Amino acid sequence: MDNRQIPKGLRDLLPQEVKNRRKLEQKAMQIFTSYGYKEVMTPTFEFLEVVETGAGKHRERLFLFMDREGGILSLRPEMTVSIARLAAMHLRDSIYPQRLFYSANVFRHVQPHLAQYREFWQTGIELLGASGPWADAEAISLAVKLLQELGLNDFKISINQIGIFNGLLTAAAIDSEDKDEIRRLVEKKDLVELERRLENLVMPDAWKESIARLPVLHGGLEVLQKIPYLEQHAATAQAVEDLLRVYEALQDYGVTRHIVIDMGVLRELELDYYTGVIFEGYSPELGYGLLGGGRYDNLLGQFGFPCPATGFALGMDRLALVLARQEEETNRYLLGGRNLRALVEKAQQLRGEGKTVEMDVEGNSLEALQEKVRGRGDISLLYLDEQS
Amino acid sequence: MDNILTIALSKGTLLKPTIELLQQAGLPCEGISEDSRSMIFTFSGDPQIKYIICRPTDVPAYVEHGAADLGIVGKDVIVEQGKDLFEMADLGFGYCRFVVAVPAHMKHLTLQELNYKRVATKFPAVAEKFFRDNGLQVEIITLHGNIELAPLMGLSDMIVDIVSSGRTLRENNLVELVSIMDSTTRLVANRVSYRTKYQEVQPLIEKMQMIVKGGKNQ
Repeated sequence: MDNRQIPKGLRDLLPQEVKNRRKLEQKAMQIFTSYGYKEVMTPTFEFLEVVETGAGKHRERLFLFMDREGGILSLRPEMTVSIARLAAMHLRDSIYPQRLFYSANVFRHVQPHLAQYREFWQTGIELLGASGPWADAEAISLAVKLLQELGLNDFKISINQIGIFNGLLTAAAIDSEDKDEIRRLVEKKDLVELERRLENLVMPDAWKESIARLPVLHGGLEVLQKIPYLEQHAATAQAVEDLLRVYEALQDYGVTRHIVIDMGVLRELELDYYTGVIFEGYSPELGYGLLGGGRYDNLLGQFGFPCPATGFALGMDRLALVLARQEEETNRYLLGGRNLRALVEKAQQLRGEGKTVEMDVEGNSLEALQEKVRGRGDISLLYLDEQS
Repeated sequence: MDNILTIALSKGTLLKPTIELLQQAGLPCEGISEDSRSMIFTFSGDPQIKYIICRPTDVPAYVEHGAADLGIVGKDVIVEQGKDLFEMADLGFGYCRFVVAVPAHMKHLTLQELNYKRVATKFPAVAEKFFRDNGLQVEIITLHGNIELAPLMGLSDMIVDIVSSGRTLRENNLVELVSIMDSTTRLVANRVSYRTKYQEVQPLIEKMQMIVKGGKNQ
């Protein structure tokens, strides 16, 4: 075998990449610390029993190996389960809520492609020992703050309450196999198959209609009014109420312009531990999610320490990719206008700042230049008016 | 920021019904044709619409990676590739089905008797899953076209392929043994575009769903 190969899905990071990465991590740590979060580290691998607690049985996604006593070990596929274990083992007698953060590499046996590696880096927080909408709102608003401070121009955070979906399915009294399948179809937004599945199930049409509409309910608060027959089921109605309270708290945080209510968000299937408000962050620059998290009130209990909790993780590799694309975009200008002297001055100034400036030498009108850059993601138009 | 909606369309037999559907949905599509030298067609408006005309098997890749926001492609291609896509609507046209077919003299075999036989197919993932789900092990030989030749030439015992009328099978003296699943054309969306461009994408999806459902009722 060629001794210059590395295993599939892994990669080396070169000085410039590491420098950028460290800068982002330090910024994130600064923000977390200012909210009172403290850093923890856990082992890179754990016993399989630990990993499968809460995160569920998805062995095909894990890197497994044996220790010499015959125990099965797994490289950590994410951090939340390890931190729940850590808290249950070592932080029982602490004062709650506990605020913890981490920055760590995690490992999943996925099909590698751009923005999806088998070893990747996550930075995130866990807020342990706090229930209620204010706690959820802290986690979500902190996610917004983090993405803003790390320099993301444009992003959305989709939020949902998993109890709405679970409540509807419980009310519809369908067995757990069908439930898993429907959950998968809603999460994947496979509307075609979902409709077929529902047709074959024995339940009132009203429930079918509600479930079928979940994947496409998306928007502001008005979305919550569009779930039909809600009031007929107490658990679902309560979950809706909870989501409403969290949204109101986010209004107080002043971050709702980044928030979208999306009933189709049920979080990745490999993580089975969510119980309440869940959320995912997206940038239009990238076809994959950037950030994910939510409430997991039963996970610590599985380690013998019942305790409500919420948190999120940000994928640093994906973030770095989005920021790099964004930078390319904002570092290149097409400069136009009528006053050549002003244009030359502006161009020199921007070039001095390390930007690339193409000057319009044809004296085009603003409209003509807009037409030129239309659809080009790699350049921004700058037009100097007579006055400026 | 400019509003652009990029839609990947499948070349070949699906293109004509696809364009008809786009027209009915009120989207611009004058002059789109696969005979044209250009593979990209852009129409101004709000949102600006850009079409990419590509091989059907490439559509899922464009959409999964976000190079296209939406795509129109057969379910056969989607199941074979198993890509992470949102499947928003069944467009109804382009019907075909996956079948296991064998030479006519073998038509009395049961599924169990196919264990450890060789199967030629363009759809190794679909074939593998079907046999495995039925508790069978088969040897899969992946070919890229004219699958029906394989049993005639002794390359395989049977084939897994898509058929619509079944004429090709008959002409090659093959018979359908089992039907695996049906396939029609689907409207797929990128998982992030669906959320970040919801305002543009969702009305379009609903329009197409209405057109398709309306057609069925008539």
